[in-house]
Amino acid sequence: MPNDALRDSLAEKRWLTALAKGDPQALGGLYEMYGERIFRYTFRMLGNRTDAEDATAETFLRVLRRSAELRADGAFRTWLFRIARNLCIDKMRQHKLMELPSDAHYSGSEERATLRVTVQQALADLPMEYREPLVLCDLEDMAAREAAEILKISVPALKSRLYRGRRALRDKLGGTLERTS
Amino acid sequence: MNNELYRKLVDLYAGNELPAELEDQMDLAAASDPDLSRDMTSLRRTVDTLHSLEDPDYTEESYHRILMKLYARGAEIESQVPVSSHFQYQLPLQG
Repeated sequence: MPNDALRDSLAEKRWLTALAKGDPQALGGLYEMYGERIFRYTFRMLGNRTDAEDATAETFLRVLRRSAELRADGAFRTWLFRIARNLCIDKMRQHKLMELPSDAHYSGSEERATLRVTVQQALADLPMEYREPLVLCDLEDMAAREAAEILKISVPALKSRLYRGRRALRDKLGGTLERTS
Repeated sequence: MNNELYRKLVDLYAGNELPAELEDQMDLAAASDPDLSRDMTSLRRTVDTLHSLEDPDYTEESYHRILMKLYARGAEIESQVPVSSHFQYQLPLQG
């Protein structure tokens, strides 16, 4: 295991043990470890900052509520993403449709920011079964096995959805990428 | 290998999942097959674009707003980072 991964794994174990004992610093520690990744994931799924902040907060509230059940067995991160995913799905059902990130702030040039919004919009138009693997594997750089665990599908099924999703995204983007490359 | 087989490998090509030698063979085959070439190029460009996109900004404001939502919902949480002064409620000045 690389040093960073080992350090994170030990820290996660320490915070989960502390959380089970009611240590008020523990949730803060887990939020420091995973808050940004969960926020990024929920932002990409929901398309706007306010909903992403709500979903991130709710994800960590669920960690707190279920602290007695949580085990530091390496599956915590997968569980955390599953919770965030379920919350995103609930929110999308409430909204019925995806919103564009009207309050999005992206670093980089104006052209890159425009591309980012265009891709986000194209992603939002994709069926959920394609969007999720793209967000997890191509945007969050997650390994296929972990993404498959989060989505509760097999690795071959994940790959199949990922490949079809990439083709669907390409078709939606049309000539946009050629113009910006 | 014929081009029909290469067409089935385009998804792996686009995701940089093929060995370099096979990738070179596909590039060579694509040079004389415009459809294969278009499929390979456009799909890889899509994947490369996704990989190169900037992350949504996780701003200090978002960090603190999420913390505030947790406090508001009754979570006992001790932040590792002090709350910025502009998040503290301030009474309006009266002259």
